Order: sequence, then structure tokens, then C-alpha cells
Amino acid sequence: MQKKGAQRERILHLLEEEGGVTEDAVRRISAETGVPEADIWGTGLFYTLVSKPGKRVRVCDGLSCRIKGSDELLERLSEEGKECERVSCLGQCDRAPATLDENLEQVCYGGVERGVTPDDPSLPMNLGGPRVDSYASLEKAKEIGSDAVIAEIEAAGLQGRGGAAFPAHIKWRSVRGQTETERYVICNADEAEPGTFKDREIILRQPHLLLEGLAIAAHAVGAKNVAIYIRGEFTSERRMIEKAIDEAGEKISGFDWKIYNGHGAYICGEETALIESMEGKRGMPRLKPPYPTEYGFRGKPTLMHNVETAACVPAIVSRGGEWFKGLGRNEPGTKLYCVSGHVNRPGVYELPLGVTLDELVEVAGGYDGSPIAFSPGGPSSGFLPISDRDVPLDFKSLAKAGSMLGSAGLVVLNDTVDMAKATKWQLDFFERESCGQCAPCRIGTRYLRRQVDSYLADGDPNSLEFAGDVGWEMEEGSICGLGMVAAKPLESAMKHFPEVFEERSSE
Amino acid sequence: MSSNRFDIEINGKACSAEKGETVFEVAAREGINIPTLCHDTRLEPAGACRVCLVEVEGQRRLEPGCAWKVSEGMKITTESERIERHRKVLYGLYLADHELDGEGLPVETGNGNQLRELAMKTEPLALNPVEAPRAGRPSDENPYIRFEPELCILCARCTRYCDEVEAVNAITLANRGSHTTIATAGMRGLLDTTCELCGGCIDTCPTGALVEKKSPDPLPADARKVRTTCNFCGVGCQLDLHVVGTNGTSRVAKVTSPPPGETVNDGNLCIKGRFAYDFIHHEDRITEPLIRGEDGELHPATWDEAIAAAAEGLGKVKEKYGADALGFVSSSRCTGEENYLMQKISRAVYGTNNIHQCSAT
Repeated sequence: MQKKGAQRERILHLLEEEGGVTEDAVRRISAETGVPEADIWGTGLFYTLVSKPGKRVRVCDGLSCRIKGSDELLERLSEEGKECERVSCLGQCDRAPATLDENLEQVCYGGVERGVTPDDPSLPMNLGGPRVDSYASLEKAKEIGSDAVIAEIEAAGLQGRGGAAFPAHIKWRSVRGQTETERYVICNADEAEPGTFKDREIILRQPHLLLEGLAIAAHAVGAKNVAIYIRGEFTSERRMIEKAIDEAGEKISGFDWKIYNGHGAYICGEETALIESMEGKRGMPRLKPPYPTEYGFRGKPTLMHNVETAACVPAIVSRGGEWFKGLGRNEPGTKLYCVSGHVNRPGVYELPLGVTLDELVEVAGGYDGSPIAFSPGGPSSGFLPISDRDVPLDFKSLAKAGSMLGSAGLVVLNDTVDMAKATKWQLDFFERESCGQCAPCRIGTRYLRRQVDSYLADGDPNSLEFAGDVGWEMEEGSICGLGMVAAKPLESAMKHFPEVFEERSSE
Repeated sequence: MSSNRFDIEINGKACSAEKGETVFEVAAREGINIPTLCHDTRLEPAGACRVCLVEVEGQRRLEPGCAWKVSEGMKITTESERIERHRKVLYGLYLADHELDGEGLPVETGNGNQLRELAMKTEPLALNPVEAPRAGRPSDENPYIRFEPELCILCARCTRYCDEVEAVNAITLANRGSHTTIATAGMRGLLDTTCELCGGCIDTCPTGALVEKKSPDPLPADARKVRTTCNFCGVGCQLDLHVVGTNGTSRVAKVTSPPPGETVNDGNLCIKGRFAYDFIHHEDRITEPLIRGEDGELHPATWDEAIAAAAEGLGKVKEKYGADALGFVSSSRCTGEENYLMQKISRAVYGTNNIHQCSAT
């Protein structure tokens, strides 16, 4: 019986090939791999891309897509006879309402103008510039040696850009210092925080920066294996990575490259859930400690970075840590800000870490209508009132304001939005994406969503009497970051927009 | 190595601990109660139910006592205002996702309900029900095990037991979030899975969401426990027979194992030990020795008469056809000692190597 190991790691891929979970498919895969049928069944049903066999159109119901009419689009497509499914954010907020066709390829129904920072060679990632594919930084890294590379990363003050802002060099040193020599570098390309689509743009526009950054990291920590875990909905992005690995050829051939598909689960952006998923299991976060740097993929030391973090590395190595650090305002470096919702040119903009909302939106073509609120880093960051427009958009300042920068997926809301409804949409997301492992999150997300539904139905604020207690417990008692922040949308909306949750006449 | 032993502090009390132990283990040894629902000493800690969260000095968050490893000088708090509030809300959430009785408490079941016990100790927050869409398997026709989704808290003790202890993997967590349930592949009945019907899932379930189909639920108040040794094989598993009724009419209504750690079977039983007790009261059960008489019918006899008759018959065969015309087969229900004696009779008394034990095939 194969409970773990190479055979187990294949089962999600095989379910994908089978077109989803059916009894027959599970039986065949069990016979082929030796993994118990129940395990395959339970694992498959965790992931929305394989849990239900058959093909259908997927319409995004992230906040940006909702306010740009995804509900109406869904209705229209259904009327046209298409089998449709409402899904969590597809990472295409700049072309809201985002949709994938039956084969997970993008279909564009949104007609908005999209933006990206224009060519500027002084920027570390320079998404609007020509592709950088010399791999000169990798060569330099090999020349100067691991200690010098890690020292530059430390000098740069590079923080994890997936949302946690953990200092990168600490992870690098930790993995490098392990006695176990089988080590892994994993790139977290499971970009799924609603409002976030920066990793997508890096992959599409500067894929070699990503590969080079990962190769430098692998070289520095002594890892031979590099894995890229990319969300399953990113089909063209996966093709781009495959092509880039091919193009880079010899230059990165010292490492074993492997691409893993996600299968439709937001929680797999959490690093230990991602590892579980790679190991062919349900994407339920592990208890920490031990951390992945010590006990990661296959129980081996693992360095995991978000796409953007890795893509910052080549410029740091070539131009120096001090230079990178100087690019930011209160915190080091430039940052890719994703902005969508009520702005005129949604897109990804590379700006000094710590710009204000107004500065960002100015680059993004200005506000669309009268802004009342914004969400700085996806639903996990809750909402801030537009009066907080001067708070620097960096990790520390936003944390102080009771929010977080997270993955910097900013969504701007104007006065046409009912904040109570926007809150409900965000709670929908967390309820759907909770892994279900721990009670505070599994029950709490559902409880809060239902109470807001009840308030929206009858306008009675008593529905929200215990929301504070439940939110407190979710933050205190959940296993992972999802549960800890899942009450944020409601908590912050009630704090900043108390009038929205007063007694109102029913709908 | 002295460095592996050190002191930690729990609620201000110095406790001796050993590297590798968890907070829960040290506390249990010191008689400090840390409540839990998802922990079973036979399983790897899951930290999933969140009931055992404690304060660890220096940690920002509450941490699960069942999984948190001790280190020298660690300071633990198991009772505080913060923990009290945590329990009140957490239990409130559990109750919002659980079948309640008229008093608003988790329903009592034939196998107890630890959530009910916890709720009675700490007044849980009264929250509206969440009506989680948790699917059961109502058409499962297996004769022994029933799953009640309304009583399940998804601690995954049953699935982890099935995996980690039995290595059978018949059941699994399936779906996600509030849709999560305990499932089999294809939601088939247990008879159509790898399930061996050991019933260990019933034993480990803390809330009675898994119950014996054959047993009254709940058991009558006068049920009493009788400890005995299972006689289905030679392992010597200890059983607790739950006997109901008075002398003349008393019957075994349920069989459980003594708790893990107490007896040789460590809380585990097999399908026979747990469920195959109907023979005790069966009308065809032979309760005394019988000897077939000249008339072809069986007649009650004493043990001495029966053994003498058997010895005589065996002796006659040996005399007429030789020792190798005899063969001895002992039952799988015999102990090792009994099997030894059986081969002694075969070899030393009758002089043949034709000796077999039925579970050897």
C-alpha cells in the first residue's frame, strides 16, 4: 500500500488525466499506484478542478469581478445554454469579469484598458521592458559563492512577497545549514489571493527572471531540485514556464526542474498545504513547527518562495543588496502592486515599496467614480476606508492600520458598492476555500457568512451580535493563516463602516 | 544523557519532562487536565480540534498542547481568561454544527459524547446553527457500523485510526470546508470497501458519531461491564462485555475494549471480538459434552465420560491402522499453551506428526 512516496505523488495528475473523480477512475488509479481507493477519493474531492468530472465554463466571483458584473455574466452564459460554474478568483482581476472556457483557457468578456509599468531598465523586474534572459546573475552567483549571495540577500532586506514578508535570507541560511543534503527549492506560483495577478505577469513577461532567481536560490542553499507549483487555472502561464525552461537550456541545466499543477484550492498557496498537495494529499496545512526549511517536501529541507520574491533575486545579485534596499521607501525594494476594481487602468505596477494609494491609482489612470474603500491585499486584509489613502502601502504601516499588505492585490471600491454585500462576497470566498481541517475556520467562516446573509435579508443587526467573538476565536484558534484572517472582511467593515450594518429595511 | 531531561513549568508548577514529549503528555503525567477531542494516544497528534490550545510563553498564538513539543524552561498556561474565552467560543461553534438535545446540549449517545461533557463544564456561546451540508451514507448496509453525520466533529480520529493503526484506509475525509465529511470511495457501503469491520472507528470517535448498529443506543441504565478475555484466538485481547438485564435474562448488548494503554490489545479489537458475540445467547450453542450413543443420537455426558470416550476411540484407530492414521487439528481459538499441549498429545501420546492448527493455513 502506497501511503506516501512517488506513487502517491502521481494521483492528482492521474485524476486530471481521467477528467476528474469518478468511481471507475479512482479504481483504476488505485490499481496502478497502490494508493488506497479511499485516499484517492478523499484527495480528489478536495480540489475543485478534479472533484467534479465534466467540462464547464468557470466564471470568477472575486471582488473585482463581482463589481464588474460577474453575476450578470454568469446568468447570461447560463441562458445561452453553457454549463457554468462560479469559482473563486481566477487571478485575472484586470480583465474583470474573468472567465475560463471549458479547457481552462482565458476568455475575455471585460473590455477595460489594462496596464503595466512601462519599460524602465532601472527597475528590478521591469515587466514592461524587454525580456532579460542572459542568466548573468546566476553566473555571478556561482562565482562569488553562496555566502556572498546570501549576504547580498540579507543586505537587500528582501521580504517574502507572497504576503508574509518573512526575511528571505533567514530561510536561505536555515536550509543551507541543515545536515540533510537532499534539499528542495519550491516556487509558489499558486497565485490565488483575490485581487492578485502579479505572479501571472512575471511569468508571462519575465519568465527567465523567475527561473534565474530560483536557480540562484537553489545554488545558494545547495539544492538540486527546483519545483514550480503553479495554479491549475494558469494554463498559458504554465506553457510559458515550460517554454522558458526549454529556452534557458544549458544555462540552468545543473538543476532538476519540475512543474506541479495546482488543482483548484486557494489554501494550497499556504506553504505547507502546497507541500501536502505536491505529495498527493488533501491540501490541509501542517502544524508548525517544524517549518519547511527543516521538514518540507518529502520531509526534506525546503526553501519556498513566491514568484515575485524569486524574481527580485537576479537584480539583487547583479546590482547589490544595498541598491535594492534603496529602491523602497520605508521598506526595501520595489513592489509589484496589483490594482483593480474602480480604477481606470487596472494592472500591475512596479513602484517603490511604501507608495500611497493615491500615487498608485494615479499610475493606474485614476479613480473610477468616488472611492469609499479599498482592500490592500485581498480579502485577507479586510477593508480600509478611503480616508486611509495616505497610509504607506508597505507591510509594517498597513499592519499598524489593522490591515496588511499581503500579496498587494489592491481592490478599490467606489460609492456604488454596498459594503455589506462586498463583505458577504469576501466571506463567501473564505467559506468556500476553507480546507475544513480545524473547527474555528470550518465552522466560523460558514457561521459569519450566514449571519451576514441573514442581516442582508432582514436588516436586523442582531444577526451580527457574536461576530466579534467568532472572529476573535478564528484568529486565535485556527491552524493556519486562512482561518486567522477569514473574519477580517467583516471585522474591518463593521469597524470602518458601522453605519452600513445598522438596522435597515429588508431587501 | 542529562540534557534530555529538564524541567518545564505548567501553571507555575515545575514538571519534569523529557525531550520529544508533548505538553499534553507531561501535563497528563502531572495530573493536569488539558481537554481534547481529536487526540488519541494511538495516533499521531493532529492538532485539529483546537480544544487543547494552551498559552506557551513567548508564542504569540495559542498552541495545541497535543502536538507542541516541550523544551527546557518552557512555561505553559492551561487556564486563563484568554483560554476560557477561546473555549467558550470554540465550543459554541462546535454546538452550532452539532445535533443538540432539548437543553441545547450535544445529544448523549450510547458511546458517550465528549463534546457534551465539555459543553457542560464551560457555558458555550449560543450561536445559530450553521446547517453544514455534511453527507452521510444512509444506504450503507453493513451490519455493524453506522455513521451519524450530525454528530461528527470532523476530528478525523476515525480516518486516522483506519490509516495509522489498522492500515486499512477504508474511510477518508472528503470534500472541503463546511462540506467536509467522512466518506468511503464512491460513498459505497463499508462492505464494498477494504473495511474489515473492526469497529475501531467507533471506539475512537469522541462524540458517538459512529455507533454499533446492533447495540441499543443508548444502553439501558442498568448495563454493567464485565471484563473478560476474548476466546476467538490466542492473542488474549481483553474485552468489556456490556451486560444488560437481570440474572436469568441477562444478555451481552455490546462489547468494547478497555482503554488504550491498559491491556495487551491497547484499545483495539477485531471484528470477531467486537461484534461476534451473538453465539453467547444462541439457541444452538452446545453447553455440555455430548456422546453419540448406540442409537445414533447425542446424549449429555460428563467431561470425564467424554474424554474417556474420545481416548478409547483414538486408541482403537491407532491399534488397528497405526498412529499415522490419526490426525490432530487444533482450533484457532486455542492459546499457544493449548496448542503446545495438543501437539504433545499427538506426538508423545499417540506417536504421530499429523498435527495442525487451523489458522496456520
